[in-house]
Parts: sequence; structure tokens; C-alpha cells
Amino acid sequence: MILVNTETIPGFRIASVKGLVQGNTVRAKHAGRDIAASFKNLVGGELKGYTELLTESRRQAVERMTAQAEQLGANAIVNVRFTTSAVTAGAAELYAYGTAVVLERAS
Amino acid sequence: MDNFELLFGLGFVAVMLGLGFFVGGATERAHFKRLDQREQLTRDIFVTQLKSFPGIGDSGPSPQAFFGEAIIASDYLKNFVGKLRKLFGGEMRSYQKLLERARREALLRIVEQAKEAGYNAVCNVRFQSADIGGNNTTAANKAAVMAPILAIGTAYVRG
Repeated sequence: MILVNTETIPGFRIASVKGLVQGNTVRAKHAGRDIAASFKNLVGGELKGYTELLTESRRQAVERMTAQAEQLGANAIVNVRFTTSAVTAGAAELYAYGTAVVLERAS
Repeated sequence: MDNFELLFGLGFVAVMLGLGFFVGGATERAHFKRLDQREQLTRDIFVTQLKSFPGIGDSGPSPQAFFGEAIIASDYLKNFVGKLRKLFGGEMRSYQKLLERARREALLRIVEQAKEAGYNAVCNVRFQSADIGGNNTTAANKAAVMAPILAIGTAYVRG
């Protein structure tokens, strides 16, 4: 599965458009991570726990989107976008969406 | 007794400010230094936010999107300075640096993944912020002050 966040790819032709595919997830870390984050807030630095949270959420959302595209018989998703929304402190909703297409190498 | 509590309170604030000044400052300088070094190492990767794959070659693997996430926490001193700044208004430099670090880190993570996978260019780079702290919600227990950045870009091989 080819994922790009552009509408077209040079050297490839879109044979057919399968439509919008999407995936979302809301995840939280356990309370220990939240406590660790509040300590980290005193000294600064990267909040690795929350970075992980975003990475996991993004992976899961993209997986769900990819599964939909596979079901539609697509081999690529173009114009991939994602957006987040605040649900509650310490949790994140990540929503990934794109257009499933069948790509062919233009010869 | 009251004096003791006041002294204790002031002492606590002083220690926390000191911690922010020394530990937070050192963390920030070290992070900027690492960012500079890593940017030097990946200087050969061509990065744009154009959609049009400038200079794409005929060979090589097909383009692929990569994601980068980074969340940098504020420290006690930055929060303190931020609150002071809010009284007078103006640029909040302590928070501006926080966001700069998060964006550069997120972009570097994309560029490093792309380089690792054998690409030499990244186009259509987009940045976005998330709200993990719950600042836009009505949650009573807002989490720490932080700068969460998500980035996406499409890697390709430049001919």
C-alpha cells in the first residue's frame, strides 16, 4: 500500500478512484504516565510517554484507514490528511483520512 | 508558624524556579545542540512543502508518506515567565522556543525515517498541533503545559 499526502504521484497514473477511506482512534496513557508528565513539566524536556501516545494513535488510525482501502481493492491512498481533537486531558483523538485509488505505473 | 509556612512556600518556589533555570535551561540547550547536529547530518535530504515533487527521478522506490510526532514539555520557570508575560503582554519567547523545538524535532523524525528508507527528498511537509493537555476542553485537571506537534511529508527519490 502506497501512502502519500499529495494528490498525484509523478510516474504513476490513477486508474480508478475508490473513494474516501478513514480511520480514527481515541487513546490514553495510564495514570502513571500522566503523573510522570506533570513532574516533567517542572524541569522541561520531551514528554516521551505522550509522544508514544501520538505515534500509537497515528499508527492505529492509519492501519484502520489502510484496512478500508484494502477492502475496496485499492493499492494506494493519496492526499492523506490527519486531524486531532481534544477529548479530555491526557487523551487524544487522531483521525486519518485519504482517498483510496488504484495506481498504475505510467509507461 | 505563619512565617515558617511563608518561608517554606517561598523556598519551594525558589527551588522550582532554580530547577527550571538550571535543569530546564540545560535540557533546552542540549536539545538545540542535538537538533543542529542532526540537521547537519541530514543536510543532503531536500525538503520542501511543495506538492509537486520537484526534481523527481524516474527510478527508485515509489513515494511514501512518513509521519513525525514530538511533544516537548515546558518547565516551571517557563510557566512562571509565561504568567508574568501575560500581565504585560508581548512575545512569549519561552513558549516560542518550545514550539520551535517540537517542530524541528518532528520534521527531523520524518527526514531521518526517509533517509533510512533510501529516499533523498521530502515534499508536501505539513505541520499540525494536537491538544493532549486538554486546554480546549472543560476538563478540570488540565495536564502539563506542552507543545505537541504532528508532521507529515511525502518522501521520494530526487533524480
